[in-house]
Amino acid sequence: MKNWGAAVFLPAAAFALLVSAPAAAQEKTGNKAGFSIAPGTARIVLMRPSVKVGEQSTGGMFEPNADWTAQARENLGKAIAATQGRLGNIVVDYEEPNGADTAAVAEYRNLFSTVANSVITYQFFPGNRLPTKKRDDAFEWTLGPDIAALPGMAGNDYALFITTEDHYGSAGRKAAQIFAAFAGVSVPTGVHKGYAGLVDLKTGELVWLNADLKMGGDVRTAEGAQKRVEQLFEGFPGRTGIPQTVTAGN
Amino acid sequence: MAGKIAGALIAGMLVAAAPAMAGNSLVAPGSKVQVAKSGMSIRSDGEWNKLGRRLGPNTETWTIDGDELNDVTFYGGIADGLPIFREVDKKNRPLPRVSSTMLVTDIPTLFETSYRIAYDTPLMKIDTVEPTSFAGGKGVRFTYSFTRPNEELHRKGEARAAVVGGKLFLITYEAPTLHYFDKTLPAFRQLADSAAF
Repeated sequence: MKNWGAAVFLPAAAFALLVSAPAAAQEKTGNKAGFSIAPGTARIVLMRPSVKVGEQSTGGMFEPNADWTAQARENLGKAIAATQGRLGNIVVDYEEPNGADTAAVAEYRNLFSTVANSVITYQFFPGNRLPTKKRDDAFEWTLGPDIAALPGMAGNDYALFITTEDHYGSAGRKAAQIFAAFAGVSVPTGVHKGYAGLVDLKTGELVWLNADLKMGGDVRTAEGAQKRVEQLFEGFPGRTGIPQTVTAGN
Repeated sequence: MAGKIAGALIAGMLVAAAPAMAGNSLVAPGSKVQVAKSGMSIRSDGEWNKLGRRLGPNTETWTIDGDELNDVTFYGGIADGLPIFREVDKKNRPLPRVSSTMLVTDIPTLFETSYRIAYDTPLMKIDTVEPTSFAGGKGVRFTYSFTRPNEELHRKGEARAAVVGGKLFLITYEAPTLHYFDKTLPAFRQLADSAAF
């Protein structure tokens, strides 16, 4: 996306802030027409979540923070593990391959985040929806059918991708907010992206997505991470609350 | 100091809010349309979405799934002395300018430098350059690859360009290398082949 300047194409986060008026209410969940999973019928492989945490500089730029990212990764990992058995179907952790395949898996994680960004920008915001995405029941998004060829995918029905990215306002950013407030202008602080998506391994299609740029829960804390995970799995297909037996690696 | 920062931020917010949220529109299959407010016309065999927002006064972007996944941008007649798209930081990192006397082989370098500045990244390179015909005249075809800052997804691009009547005409296509680039490449080439004045 050519998002190199404020006056040109806008990144999803900035776009969301500009169209936050009630008239352009954002949708947060989408699923492919006719898609559903009955509880206890599917085997889902959970990809390692993509987690980024950092600070938002005074000018709004993202500055990654390795300590916060490590904390968040641990907190979210525990919260997901605690939730995994209550998703209505068997959810197993993906066993990351070695060598060249590591890069291929990472590229799919990146592609998922980019596809989710596009869904938010061009489908979830009705005012900016692409004409070809406006048709009845149109939720046509894909990672491509080759995802099924990744090592370890055989025998699974769906891949579950999770992306979180949190930008916490720096002291300078917060000061700027206060000055801006005096001038009657809103300077938003923080980005709290959370995406969870299911990909059908038979087709590569994204069949369910829950995505929001303003998720709750401070992922740097255990409680906050639990809250974030609950929000990520809201409306998860086939979820019943009945625990399923999970055998990792099988 | 903080006042200056707040002032700059407020100004930035106002600039960001300035472009009208012009709607996106459908390009129907079989249609022949003038693009990028120029004399260049394109015939589309397939269905595209034309984005309401522009990179610059003489540009136009078409997409199928959003410009992050498949992006065809038409640069229609960029005149001598102008950058190919809007400046991002004119004071510190000015964009290179089109020259009416430039050779077609200069175009890939102009494009590469513009992207490196706009994305503020060295991770942009031209992969191949070869002569081609463009709207019936002499032109250049080049391919490129890049990643954006704070993002690891690899992207590829293909472009065709020519200088016609002292102005730069350029058509670019770019998409993630994984799945998307190859999927939409034939549709892009059909558009580029149809370019006419």
